[in-house]
Amino acid sequence: MKKKNERAIIRVVIATGISSVVTQLVTIREFLAQFDGNEFVIALIFFCWLILGGLGTLLASLGNQVTDQRSTGRFQNKIWFRNKIQRATIDRLAWLSLLLAAFSTVQILAIREFRDIFFIPGSSVGFYPTLAYTFFTIAPYTLLVGFVLPYSLFVLRNDTPAYPGARIYITDNLGDTAGGALFSFVLVYLVTPFWAIFLANLPLIFVTCLLFSRRSLVVFLGAGIAFSILLSGVFLERATLKPAVGKLVYCSESRYGRVAVHQDAEQYTLLSDGIPLFSNQNVNMAEEAIHYPLSQINRVQHILLISAEGGMMAEIEKYKPETVDYVELDPEVSEVLFNFGLIKKISGLNVIHRDGRAFLADSDKIYDAIIINLPEPTTFQINRFFTDRFFKLAKNHLAPNGVLSFSIQGFDNYLAEPQRQKLSSLYNTVADYFEHILLLPGLKIFFICRSLPIEPDIPTRLAQKKISTRYVHAFFYGNLTKERIKYLNEAVDPATPKNSDGSPRLIRLMFSQWFAKFATSPVGFFGVLSILCLIYFIFITKEEFVLFSTGAMVMGSEIIIIFVFEIFFGYIYFQIGLIVTVFLAGLMPGAFLGNRLSGHGIRLIGITDGLLIILMGILIPAIWLGGDRLPVTVYLGFGFVISLLCGFQFPVALALRGGGNSAVARTFSADLIGAAVGILFTSVVLIPYFGIIWAVAGLIALKSISLMVVSTQYPRISLCKD
Amino acid sequence: MQRLTRRKFLYCSAGLLPVACPAQAFWPFGDKESHASGPADIRGQVFKNDAPETLWKWSREGFRYKKIKDGKVVCGICPNRCILAPGDRSVCRSRVNMNGKLYSLAYGNPCSANTDPIEKKPLYHFKPTSKAFSVATTGCNFRCLNCQNWEISQVKPHEIRHIDLFPKEAVQAAQDAGAVSIAYTYSEPTTFFEYMLDTARLAREKGLANLWISNGYINKKPLVELCKVLDGANVNLKSFSDAIYRKLNGGRLEPVLNTFKTLHELKIHFEMTNLVVPGYVDDPEMVKAMCRWILDNLGPDHPLHFLRFFPRYKLDRLPPTPVSTLVRFREIAMAEGIHYVYLGNVPNHKGNHTYCHQCGKLLIERQGYYIPTYNLTGNRCRFCNTIIPGVWPAKGDSVSKLFQNPI
Repeated sequence: MKKKNERAIIRVVIATGISSVVTQLVTIREFLAQFDGNEFVIALIFFCWLILGGLGTLLASLGNQVTDQRSTGRFQNKIWFRNKIQRATIDRLAWLSLLLAAFSTVQILAIREFRDIFFIPGSSVGFYPTLAYTFFTIAPYTLLVGFVLPYSLFVLRNDTPAYPGARIYITDNLGDTAGGALFSFVLVYLVTPFWAIFLANLPLIFVTCLLFSRRSLVVFLGAGIAFSILLSGVFLERATLKPAVGKLVYCSESRYGRVAVHQDAEQYTLLSDGIPLFSNQNVNMAEEAIHYPLSQINRVQHILLISAEGGMMAEIEKYKPETVDYVELDPEVSEVLFNFGLIKKISGLNVIHRDGRAFLADSDKIYDAIIINLPEPTTFQINRFFTDRFFKLAKNHLAPNGVLSFSIQGFDNYLAEPQRQKLSSLYNTVADYFEHILLLPGLKIFFICRSLPIEPDIPTRLAQKKISTRYVHAFFYGNLTKERIKYLNEAVDPATPKNSDGSPRLIRLMFSQWFAKFATSPVGFFGVLSILCLIYFIFITKEEFVLFSTGAMVMGSEIIIIFVFEIFFGYIYFQIGLIVTVFLAGLMPGAFLGNRLSGHGIRLIGITDGLLIILMGILIPAIWLGGDRLPVTVYLGFGFVISLLCGFQFPVALALRGGGNSAVARTFSADLIGAAVGILFTSVVLIPYFGIIWAVAGLIALKSISLMVVSTQYPRISLCKD
Repeated sequence: MQRLTRRKFLYCSAGLLPVACPAQAFWPFGDKESHASGPADIRGQVFKNDAPETLWKWSREGFRYKKIKDGKVVCGICPNRCILAPGDRSVCRSRVNMNGKLYSLAYGNPCSANTDPIEKKPLYHFKPTSKAFSVATTGCNFRCLNCQNWEISQVKPHEIRHIDLFPKEAVQAAQDAGAVSIAYTYSEPTTFFEYMLDTARLAREKGLANLWISNGYINKKPLVELCKVLDGANVNLKSFSDAIYRKLNGGRLEPVLNTFKTLHELKIHFEMTNLVVPGYVDDPEMVKAMCRWILDNLGPDHPLHFLRFFPRYKLDRLPPTPVSTLVRFREIAMAEGIHYVYLGNVPNHKGNHTYCHQCGKLLIERQGYYIPTYNLTGNRCRFCNTIIPGVWPAKGDSVSKLFQNPI
């Protein structure tokens, strides 16, 4: 009976791991489709998820104390009484698991539907409202998922009081890894979000049914309701995506996000993660992006276009080029562009579905024009197309009379300070590789870069080439007066630091711009967070601090490894998915080993802390010296070892902490809270504001503090009590 | 309780399946009404204790305000009628109460000054292809979610870079640029009323026209005072619904309608713009009601521009307005009886051209800022001699085909 219960609970823990990771990934994608997809928001969602998970585990600790009090009494040693208590706690766990399965769908529905109740439809949302909305919509699910894991252990310990806490951690990691791999390599390719949630939660419902001590009508009714809620999501998929304006004529979940096409009257608009990118009626953007650079060249033969928008090919066709290499990372986007007639297929067109930077690095082709048509560099991924290394790469692939063109968000009548700094940083970066740079104002600011002089009078150039346009011909003189061009070009501040891969200055300027747009500042948030962290540090034990730093190290190093990998190899979905998976997978064998060797206690914590510091220390020189010459397996291996060491520390610290129920809950929560803080600070503070080296240094510093705590406070550790 | 068999479980589950299937039919959020959800009112608030410690070079005592008890003042420029205690800053961010007196902090410190084609304002019936010297300081009494100039309209005067251009210098700069008019524009000129009025008075003395490009959110008395030196205006009628005004713009409709009536009564040439925001301002019934109000109160001769919306500022998750919607609105407005209805932000469309309301012939062909065809003689149609409302070059004066400002 004991073994049977144990097996059933273990199955539930694994299924919960699968369900929670899939739900987490779907939730994050859903938030990115509903809110700004900048690096700050991405970090914020992870942060809320992990913090609430950590709070959930702390709640389990409190819940356990209440249960302990109830279960102690005059019948505590009677077998019938213990069986009754055991049945009750198992049933409670089962009901919570069913609730969890149902909540996963409810959560996604809530994210989609409450947005337009709390915020004005069609409007973007600032930092604090995003934080509040994220926090409250995911709170029920994440608190519950955080609660369930330690609670499962408490239930197990009703039967087997000495059941090791580390084993539940390992089991959970097994479920998490399976969930991560299932979503990243299977579900994301095949199904919609609600289908993914449905499929990932089916095992949970099934194994939960087996967990109930008695399979009564009420149980099956409960399981049936949970199942129905999950299934309802599948039927509500389209209804909940219905736009406020027009109708949804196409929607697809690609690996990279949600691609949708809205039709309003005769107009088709392509939306990527909720942001309207192109419509079939925007001629001016296409004309500006194509004619500003191409008009400079006498004979255009080979063009590289990194991402495209409506009408561009028709404009390119006017130059009769021999080849047009159109690189689009997301195959869904180019397919939609062609299918809905947003861009046309022209002679010499070669569509390439790859990361643009990786393509250029691997290509030896020389182009007359390289046109970058990407959105603002709000993420590390996009920032790679606006850095010194990329501009050098582009220069090496341009003919002597070739032209590079890219754009950033423009302005109407006043160049605000964050935008001016952004512009200056970009100008100073690209100026190292091109002798002539012309900035042209408008809804977008265009950078036209060449080694030869640039002619600003575009309509005259087009007239010489006998190329007709609708927008440029009619509006250039007037929208682009000589005063406006002069104002823009003189606004460049030569002292503004350059944007590089290792120190993505543009990201921090994008943050400034985003906060300026909503007239807000993150200072209050970080202030409160710092105070809460300090209070937390006062109340946690040394072992919990070790695990806090370990959690921060896992998430922080994962962000850094992905960031570095993207710099050298580009955004390759499958391999980045692998990196994420090895970071999850490494924890499991690490914890297994740690559990075996936990008797060696504090010494092992010290050794692993030291190893983590050394590993992070050699990361930077290894990467900068090896760079893209290092095989991908090195990145995977590095991630695996880091997470293995971090996973190793958990059972060891837990053993030092005593392994009681309360200790388990608190160590779980320390790990999660550390991970939350780690991802937030690495993504939005360390990398953008201090660069990659200081980000690594920050993590090393944190682990060094952990090492110091371990090595100097050891005698006190042994005195700690739950 | 009776234990269930596997077979019963399967029956039970099958019985529950139909619960999930029709979920879509009962889903309460199926039909989303943009204007029915989200916050209902985004109007701005007075900034308490936000005034600078001292005045600066670009401060002037307000022209229209009232002192009330406890050192408080009431600004009389716009319908917000901000009540400011000492140290407070107005909703528009440009006016403060310093020791019981109201001061404007936006006087002679424009953050933007450009020479624009008049068509860009847009003013289609005012000296075509002429140059308008355009100035703006910071500030706005609205909070439009789609503001294209939010970098200057939603900030305080101290927060941005500006140039030194007091009224005398502004008029000189306009003359140097070869402009025939000065346009008070970009942000909301009502918020720099004192600067605008003083500059306009000087400009008129120098023979320059004054153009007010505004949201029309101004009280009658200052407007009447302004109209004494005003030659033309373009006033934005953002929608014909007070609820949408409050929700998208942070203002009210009624004062704007009053502004139109005042301008009409005082015989100021003005044109109206209506930005057609999808999901909010794209209701044909609302357009019909708007046109009927215009006809009843202002007559058929004031040009009306339907502008195409593009996602901007905070309202950046809506698609652009389909061109056919604008075309339909133009047809509705003309069918209702408005003589001159234009499309904006739609390059090379016939809705950009001016046709004689009497004979229907093409009077002005517009390709952006380029005018290949011009068939007016003075203010009359060349074909049927009908007077075309507007401010036109005098008979015999030539009209340049192109906005003259070589790169």
